[in-house]
Amino acid sequence: MTSNEKGKQPKILILATLAGGYAGADATGQAHTDYPANTYILPVMCPVMFPPEFFVRAFERGIDGIIIMYSGTDSPYKVEADGTAALINRSYALMKTRGIDIRRLRLAAICTVCVKPFLKEVNQMADLLKGIGFVKDEIAAPAAA
Amino acid sequence: MPEEKKFPETTPASEEVRVGVYTCHCGGNISHVVRCERVTKSLGKLSNVVVARTDPSFCSDTGQAIIEKDIKELGVNRVVIGACAPSLHEQTFRNTVTRAGLNPYLYHHVGLREQDSWVHGDDKDGATEKAIRLMSAGVAKARLLIPLDPIRLGAEKQALVIGGGVAGLRSALDIARQGIRVTLVEKSPFLGGRMAQLESIFPTDEEPRQLLHELIEQAAAYPNITVLTQAEVTAVSGYVGNFNVRVTQRSRGVSDEMAEALAAACTQETPDEFNYGLTRRKVICRPYEGCYPPLPAVDWEHYDGQPIQLNGKSVVLKDEPQVHELTAGAIVLATGFDPYEPRRGEYGYGEIPEVATLPQLIRALSRVPEGEPLTWNGHPVRDVALIHCVGSRELDGVHEPQADGQVNNYCSRVCCTASLHTAVELRQRFPKLNLYELYQDIRTYGRGHEEIYRQAQAKMVRFLRYHGDERPEVAAAPAGDTHPVLVRVKDTLTYGEEIEIPVDLVVLAVGMMPRQIDSLVNMLKVSRGADRFLLEAHPKLRPVEMAVRGIVLAGTAQGPMNIQESLSAASAAAAKVASLLGQGRVELPPFVARVDESKCNGAGACVEACLEEGAIALQTFQENGREVKRAVVTPANCTGCGACVGVCPNRAIDVQAWTLAQYEAMVDAIAMETPAFSEAEK
Amino acid sequence: MDNLHVDTLVVGGGIAGMQAALDLADQGFQVALVEREPSIGGKMITLSKVFPTLDCCSCITTPKMSAVAHHPNIHLLTYCELQSIEETGSGFHAAIVQKPRYVDARKCTGCRECEYACPVTVPSPFDRGLGAYRAIRVPFSTAVPQKAVLDMENCILCGKCEKECPAGAVDFTQQPEPFEIETTTIIAASGFELTPLNAKKEYGGGKLRNVVDPLMMERFLAPTGPYGRVLRPGDGKEPTSIAYVQCAGSRDQTLGVEYCSRVCCMYAVKQAMLISGALPMADITIYYMDIRTFGKGYEQFYQNAKAMGVEFVRGKVAAIREDGEQNPVIKVELTEEGRIVERTFDLVILSLGMTPAPGSNGTTSTSLSASLGLPLGTDKFIAIPAPNANPCASARPGIFVTGTAMGPMDIVDSIVTASSAASAASAYIREHQKEAVYA
Repeated sequence: MTSNEKGKQPKILILATLAGGYAGADATGQAHTDYPANTYILPVMCPVMFPPEFFVRAFERGIDGIIIMYSGTDSPYKVEADGTAALINRSYALMKTRGIDIRRLRLAAICTVCVKPFLKEVNQMADLLKGIGFVKDEIAAPAAA
Repeated sequence: MPEEKKFPETTPASEEVRVGVYTCHCGGNISHVVRCERVTKSLGKLSNVVVARTDPSFCSDTGQAIIEKDIKELGVNRVVIGACAPSLHEQTFRNTVTRAGLNPYLYHHVGLREQDSWVHGDDKDGATEKAIRLMSAGVAKARLLIPLDPIRLGAEKQALVIGGGVAGLRSALDIARQGIRVTLVEKSPFLGGRMAQLESIFPTDEEPRQLLHELIEQAAAYPNITVLTQAEVTAVSGYVGNFNVRVTQRSRGVSDEMAEALAAACTQETPDEFNYGLTRRKVICRPYEGCYPPLPAVDWEHYDGQPIQLNGKSVVLKDEPQVHELTAGAIVLATGFDPYEPRRGEYGYGEIPEVATLPQLIRALSRVPEGEPLTWNGHPVRDVALIHCVGSRELDGVHEPQADGQVNNYCSRVCCTASLHTAVELRQRFPKLNLYELYQDIRTYGRGHEEIYRQAQAKMVRFLRYHGDERPEVAAAPAGDTHPVLVRVKDTLTYGEEIEIPVDLVVLAVGMMPRQIDSLVNMLKVSRGADRFLLEAHPKLRPVEMAVRGIVLAGTAQGPMNIQESLSAASAAAAKVASLLGQGRVELPPFVARVDESKCNGAGACVEACLEEGAIALQTFQENGREVKRAVVTPANCTGCGACVGVCPNRAIDVQAWTLAQYEAMVDAIAMETPAFSEAEK
Repeated sequence: MDNLHVDTLVVGGGIAGMQAALDLADQGFQVALVEREPSIGGKMITLSKVFPTLDCCSCITTPKMSAVAHHPNIHLLTYCELQSIEETGSGFHAAIVQKPRYVDARKCTGCRECEYACPVTVPSPFDRGLGAYRAIRVPFSTAVPQKAVLDMENCILCGKCEKECPAGAVDFTQQPEPFEIETTTIIAASGFELTPLNAKKEYGGGKLRNVVDPLMMERFLAPTGPYGRVLRPGDGKEPTSIAYVQCAGSRDQTLGVEYCSRVCCMYAVKQAMLISGALPMADITIYYMDIRTFGKGYEQFYQNAKAMGVEFVRGKVAAIREDGEQNPVIKVELTEEGRIVERTFDLVILSLGMTPAPGSNGTTSTSLSASLGLPLGTDKFIAIPAPNANPCASARPGIFVTGTAMGPMDIVDSIVTASSAASAASAYIREHQKEAVYA
């Protein structure tokens, strides 16, 4: 199916660490393995820099799913493993108050050669969004959450 | 010597933002999927974009010239390039814009190949839309880029080499010859590593310990090189140019005067790893005559603490470890390899005494006096089978995984030639032996190696070829049989005939495994590949450097290599260290936290969140007669993780070139309801 | 030409020479890089993609070419030939000749107007003769430097280029210009040449139209290639059955090439994978004696190719002939089955090996080593007397060797040996120039 046939697609934002997920995405590219095109990867040094409000703002602007691909305990940054997990928990709490399905935000440890885990995460999020639909509809009808 | 690099005068932030957008075809790699012309057309319509172009390859000289010309002639002051992965060419284009007079950090790179065209080949529309949104996000970020200067640090003209085998020694010597001081740290009590355990090196048939001796003599005599044996790196902090390293060194345990006498008097024994456990040695010993340092040392791992009787006196040996704190501008990892240790029962290893590894056979042969016959386990040896690819070229789903769940699916590269070289030696020394080589493919690739293969063929070594998924089987022969072991193989050279060979000795040509260096890997934050060997930054562009700046690779820590290849890699590593430290100065990218003084009110959340030693602190300033507190960053200690950014209640701190506002702008561009690409259709 | 005084003279501007030059220049040494062709880049710039990463080859090479051209410590001298060297006591005195481009390189902007005006079409060696260019041209699109060169052998002296050149750079009167370089060290990076396609009579002696060499296949597969796709040179048809004949120019005593050329297994596997991508319906068979995928990540690459459906058949190809439709017919002894069969293919690639780079006149194989006075090994590559002690040192002190000048090797190994040679040369320079060796 091409995008034309599919019409409007949900948007998946992937915040990927340079030491982990971003390199993993490049490795997936080098393996020439296909995955959905509605995936937008932005490199980050370490995801702890984002306050929970950043994610909520992104959802409100129309990003339907966010995957944080971090390096976990393999990170060059001491703060990354625990700091990111704590950040996710704070973000979930905030998402709930705004009526956003917390499954729209996921944390995954992706290493530089993690081709299969990368594809699994992307496909899982794509499948989830097929089921739960666009974030705008959800925010418009907060009671459903 | 080159002059200090000076970046061009930085562009004032107030100046009008003029973005140039460049979408690379990557010689078709991108343009076969992404409609680059459409991307260009769409991006050209965005505000601030003054020019948008495509080219078959912007990384080429002509491509770069186009960008330089736009900067000079069209006043482009922000550059966005969509091309291959930034790991490949971000630096190339930073240099390009710098040459044209633009600050290198006014450029943003978008990966359109690995993360778009190569993964959405069957969705050209989707890939094109993705490219447009990612490039739009790039423009959104570019609008907010500000000129930055690198952080300039003094670099210690001192290097640390970890590993005292042939690669570490060669690296140390070559670095020292460039006028850089070197500390060489070796874990064992003696230098030389695995090479000392060999008896003859192909293809020159030289004596390895003689070659090592010459190398060690040069290195040890070099006034610039400090050798620490029985020493291990126990802590590392810092960064390229200024690594702070703690080395813990155990005592030699015996004074120079007493060493020989105590070694002679020592009675406690342990298996001798120099001979791969074939013999036993004392716990005060040296591996071989002529080793370096020349005198015996105490093996603290095995010494039981009991007194040693010498001249009527009881001597108890004490280990008093010494801690060395040193600084190093760069670190060379030359930690080497271990021969693959077959599982118990793998080809009968560990169960049948007549099954040995090739390294064991090499040690055993060195102990057979010239002219005497070869015996094994007390029996004369008449027939020998050498099995290739043990612990190498294993297949997922066919071979039993190791403890970590992986199989060694790589080729160990040296075993074919090593095995044939040994076969030729066996034939020369014991002319009546029957020799069988059981192989998949003979990989005598190196200069002079094919000649060894031809010699083995000429010397009537019998070759049997098996398939990777039908490996030979080794079993103990029934009691009373003529030979102790039976080897069964389906030989494809005789069109798949099942052949059973009775032999007196089975030799397993085992592959290479990286040494157990988990703690070093964790301390240095370096990466390993799927094969568990240390991973280079790029196999083609930067084959001896690691992704962590200032850390380079030498020898078999990176993957299987023979001695010649290890030497080359070690010298190459030295060249990288010399380039890095030769100028006594290192430049780091400016990706560190920066405080906006107008917004910081000294809340201190950043200081609490920061886990890096000495990176951020609150300081008191006098301002209009009042005392105010503000956070202050020490750039050299800041890693740029941004832990301070997310917690600041005032949005007063950001990581330079990775600001929160830039991410928000990028998200907006990606989320845009009516993306630029549909405008282009109108 | 002004005479130069440098620390190192690098002879050869392929990947090995470029890397050695960059490593020395980065350490602050002055380097002269002499390249015989009008552009640097060597063989590597003509390749499609590199194994095992499948990176686009020009994307890896062009930045190095660009870095060499822009480095403040590198004097790039293209279209120059080393004539001879003399020892001076403090190093070497090298006699070089700048060959005439018939274009003033200082004036030429690389605009290519001359090329568009030139009426003479010549087979392009960059495209292994598959494509054509003009008698005056910038040698290829990513050439460094971007300067035109006129090939007098094919020029008809019509003068159109001279008339069209907006810079007035065309100069038919140029003569070879000798100049001299004083240097402390020399690095020989003269590279390799393929075993000729016509070397083996049994394989058609180079006369079969649809039997090609692997560098031709690289051009078919390269995005910058002459056709932009894979086809039969004989009739332009898209091939559906393709065979690789391994060791077609190596491990063969009848050719006098007894050694293994190290790269042929991997390039065949790589090309097979790329062809499978370009022509998904094509059957690809690789006839081999031993598959030698020994480098880092190479065995896994080979296993991937097998999994993709590339057929690996152990067999000795005895002969190749042509049928009535120009289809190559391979006579092969299947060594795992003990029978000889004939099979017809649309296209056959001879996996030719590496021989030392020939001299300028194309006949002597010992040109550079002769000018440098270096002994050769039995394989005719430059001898390395102590490979297990000084793997890049030639028999003459102060002269180092790198890349395929010292025997077949792949790109990674060429880059590593280049850095290694640079390291050895820089140590020699410091010790020879009697600078303070340590602080």
